[in-house]
Parts: sequence; structure tokens; C-alpha cells
Amino acid sequence: MLRKLVTGTAIVGLTAGAALAEGELNLLTWEGYADPSFITPFEEASGCKVTATYVGSNDDFAPKLAAGGGVFDLVSPAIDSTAPLIAAGFVDPIDTSRIERWNEIYEKFRTTEGINANGQVYGVPFSWGAISFMYRKDKFDTPPTSLAALWDPALEGRIALWDDKSAIYVAARLNGDADIYNLTDEQIAAAQETLLKQKPLVRKYWATAGELVDLYKADEVWISNTWAGYQSSLLAADGIEVVEFIPTENAEGWMDSFMVVKGTPNEECAYKFLNMAVSELGQCGVANVNGYSATNPVAAKECMTPEQYLALHQDDPDYLDSLLLWENLGPRLSAYTNAWNAVKSQ
Amino acid sequence: MNIRLRRALMLSPPLLWTVIFMFVPYTLLVIYSFWRTEFPLFVPDFQFGNYAELIRDPQYIRVLWRTMRIAAMVSAFALLLAFPYAYFLVFKVRRPGLRLVLYMAVVAPLWVSYLLRAYTWKTILGTEGVLNSFLISTGILSEPSSLFLYNQTAMVLTLTYVFIPFMVMPIYAALEKIPASLKEASADLGHGRAATFLKVTLPLSLPGVIAGFTMTFCLAFGDFIAPILVGGPDGQMVANVIASQFGAALNWPLGSALALVMLVIVLGIISVSDRFERLGQARLS
Repeated sequence: MLRKLVTGTAIVGLTAGAALAEGELNLLTWEGYADPSFITPFEEASGCKVTATYVGSNDDFAPKLAAGGGVFDLVSPAIDSTAPLIAAGFVDPIDTSRIERWNEIYEKFRTTEGINANGQVYGVPFSWGAISFMYRKDKFDTPPTSLAALWDPALEGRIALWDDKSAIYVAARLNGDADIYNLTDEQIAAAQETLLKQKPLVRKYWATAGELVDLYKADEVWISNTWAGYQSSLLAADGIEVVEFIPTENAEGWMDSFMVVKGTPNEECAYKFLNMAVSELGQCGVANVNGYSATNPVAAKECMTPEQYLALHQDDPDYLDSLLLWENLGPRLSAYTNAWNAVKSQ
Repeated sequence: MNIRLRRALMLSPPLLWTVIFMFVPYTLLVIYSFWRTEFPLFVPDFQFGNYAELIRDPQYIRVLWRTMRIAAMVSAFALLLAFPYAYFLVFKVRRPGLRLVLYMAVVAPLWVSYLLRAYTWKTILGTEGVLNSFLISTGILSEPSSLFLYNQTAMVLTLTYVFIPFMVMPIYAALEKIPASLKEASADLGHGRAATFLKVTLPLSLPGVIAGFTMTFCLAFGDFIAPILVGGPDGQMVANVIASQFGAALNWPLGSALALVMLVIVLGIISVSDRFERLGQARLS
């Protein structure tokens, strides 16, 4: 009885200790970006308790912050969704002098328009990758190399496409319109037509990573676009062999950065988190959990095996430069989303 | 205490509830629907551009029409299944215990999460699903068919299954209330079974049918999950478009306008069905 009492008291003491931690952090982020494999060590080292809310899409960030409430301290939108947050004043500038390893991050990311505005920096680049394409290895005799494979009538009912405005990007590239972030109304209309031609062949427009994985697992889909590294590794773990490829029409690239929500009461913890995110702990954390590439190649080299470093294109600036890095569409956003909605409403 | 004050006190909690959770949100929706988008978000204004856009761009009418068609099919199929079932329960099952069990068999699934029940259909209808395995094992199909899942048929099937309790319950209640003496009187007056059903049972059950039809229609009309889970590329419904306007398109004014159009349609349906119900009651009395 006495022992029980002592243990009980000890547990109460421990929980109380955690509750009295230095601070807390509320993240609005992607699944995997708050994985215990690197968040638990961070919490222990910093004394900041991390709570994460997950988004299903980049489109969730702005509406959640627009609805207000002061709930979140850090958000992690992709580079095409950052501009409304900056313009609407939802996020604070970053004091890069407080990010110790800032200068180790790829320059391309540090200086990108997506996180730079009014001479200030608004985001700390965290991870990046390609919106590549993938197919079931056992279903193709000749590996597909072009986007045309997603319009191949022979694959009717075996094609999936991401339910996202990026569908317009894909169709525009197939149409030969390479400047996908500055499409004219005519080019968007042409992309819409192209997508309508594809529609009867499509099994499902997938919305989440889990849904795409399920579509492959249930043998519904053989070819689709994907978030490079993520779904393919989940499928590999289930014994389904898929091959990722960058089509001849090229692929988009994305980069996620952590941004500090305006007026956060937990700024101290937020900066501790940002420093962790671009260190070995955060960079290899996300690479191991999600299969995404690291934004800090110096940290990546420290914590990755040479094979992983190579596989994630960390030493290959040409690969990064070849990708069509997502851009904010600004006022043109609604033209793209309306065209995509029109395809789905047909 | 004065009666008026007491009545006011008694009414105030529900009144407060209605004001806070119904009146305020809908008023906000109305206000937003006149605003206009301007990068990065939207600005206050008073103009009808959002409503004009709903008419100008054919995609909205198309989705509204599709949603109504699907909702009507769901209600029709639910009625076809629910009416005979309720009739059987009320008039054919003699043992009250058995009747209760059969009634609960329809109603109990309401206690299970809708998401779970819709998801179940995915595992039944899929290419490697239960239905395909069954058809192959019985030799009806030689290879799995992909025709069952990710299309509008799958959506209608799922929604019918999910919302059928809302059809069974009011029809059951209406049939149960019909006094046996009326049917006996009809028989005494020389009517056969069919004529009694058409002239007595069916008219008296109409209020239940109308209530069930209205409920299933409105629930299916506003559905948002079935298109995502079992719908295919042509499965988008109005609620999904509204969600996309509030999310991806970041166009709350247009989304609000569309939501209000949807609300007006639902209110219209409810008032029409209300009138029908009263019409039926007046004629019978």
C-alpha cells in the first residue's frame, strides 16, 4: 500500500513537472512534421510542450488563421500558400539572427519570393520535394515516361490524380504550356478541356496521402501523381512496389516552411522549435518519417547515410533547379481553382 | 412571480441558443455573401456579384442539379425499401418482441458513426471487395468489376443505406396510428385488400411518407462525405463545392452565396412538404 502511494505521488510529481514546463507550442502542420521521433527529444531538451493539429491540405492554413482565435503558434504552409498569410498579416517576420544555422539552408530557399516580402523573411524552410508521378511496377511492360500515360485510354479506370489546383498545372504542361504559374485565361480553359478528356479514364481524384495509398493497395489504381518519397514508402512497407518518375514534361516542386503566427505568446519556444527544425534532429526527422528532402544540406550530411543523402537529391542542385518550384498565384488563384471545380462539376 | 416574466425566463435558454447558434451564423453568412474577394482575402461590400456568378458560371447550376437528382434518387429508393418494411412490421409481425427487434435493426445503425458506415461500403464495393469476391466465387463474374465503386451509383447506394432509418421511422409511426377499425369498416363495405390499401392505408400513411421523403432528401442534399469516400470523378455535390470555396479557393463570399441558395432550396422543400402534409390531413378529416 505504502509503495503504491509512493509511486502514485511520484507520478503526480512527474506530471506536475511536465505541466510546469517552460512553455507550450501549438502547431498547425502536416502529419509527420510533429512525429514523436524528433518532437519528444525536442520537448525534453527545450521544456516546450508541443501539441499538433494536422491539416489535410495547404488550403487549410489561411482559412484556419482567418477564422482567428489565437490558437496556433507555428504553421507550415507550402511555398504557394504563404503569400496570403503574409499579406493578410497573419504571420510575423522571422529574426534570422536568432536562427543559428540559417546560412546553411539552400540559398534558393532562403531568398525565395514565397517567404520574403517587404525586405523581411517570414518563414524558415523545413523540407522540400517533387510532385512526382508513380506507377505499379508489375503493371507496366514499358515504364511510362510522359504525362501522356495519364491520358492513355488503355489505362481507363486505373488512373488517379490529386484533387488539387495542381491538376491544372499537370494538364497545362501536357498541353505544352510550360509557364504553369502564369497561365492566361485561354491556357487555363485549354487545361480544363484536357482534364475533361481525361475524366472518363480517372478512377478517383485523391485528396489525402492515405487515400492514395489505399487506392493502390486495393488494386484500384496503377498510375498517379504523388508527393515524392511519401506514399511510395508507405506502399513499399505494405509490399506493393511502385516506381516514382519525373515525366518528360517535368514536375512541380514544393517547399514547406515554418512561419510564426502573429502575436504568439510562445515566441521563445517557437524560436527553439525553428532552430531544432533546421538542425540534424528536425531535418533527418522529417526525412526519415516522411521521406522528404532536407532544406539544410549541412545538417543532412551529418545525419543521413550517403545512400539516403543521394536518394533525396541533397547533393544535386540541378535536380532542385529543374523542378518547377510552386509559386503563389496571387489574385489568379480563383481562376485556377474555379477551372478545377468546373472539371469536377462536369 | 409574474407569469410573463416566468414565461420569458423559461423561454430564454432555447431562445438564446437559437440566437447564438442559428441566427448569428446565418446573418454572418448573408453579410459575407455580399462581400467581394480581393487578394489576399475579401473585403466588405454590398453587391450581388456572387449571386450573379452562381448563374453566370454553369458549373454551379450543374452541381445543384446533380445534387438534387442524387437526393431524389436516394429518397425514392429509401421509400421503395422502407414502406414495405414498415408495413410488414406494423401489420404482419404479430409478436411485439420480434417487431421491436426488427425495428431496432434499422434504427440501431444510427448509433454507429456515419463515417464508419459509409466506409464499410467502400470495402464491400471495391475491386477487391466483398461483392466482387462473392460474384467471382459464384462464377457470375470471371474477373473483378470496377463498376461498383467510385461512381454515382455507389453514392446513391451508400446514402440510401445511411439515411433509410429516417424514412422507416415516420412511416412506421404513421402506419401504427391507423386504427384497425378503419380497415375492418372498409372490408365491411365490400372493399378487397388492394382497394383498402389504396383508399385507406396509403392515404393515411402519406404524412409519414412525406416526412420521410423530406428528411432523406434534405440530408442527402447536404451530404459531403459520400462523394469523398465512394464518389468518383463525377461525384462532386454542392456541399463539396461550398467546402472548396471556403478552403482551396479562399472565396468565402461566393461560398456564402452558394450556401444561402442551398438553404433557400431546403427551406422551400420543407414548406412545400409541410403544405402537402396539411392538405392530406384536411382531406381526411
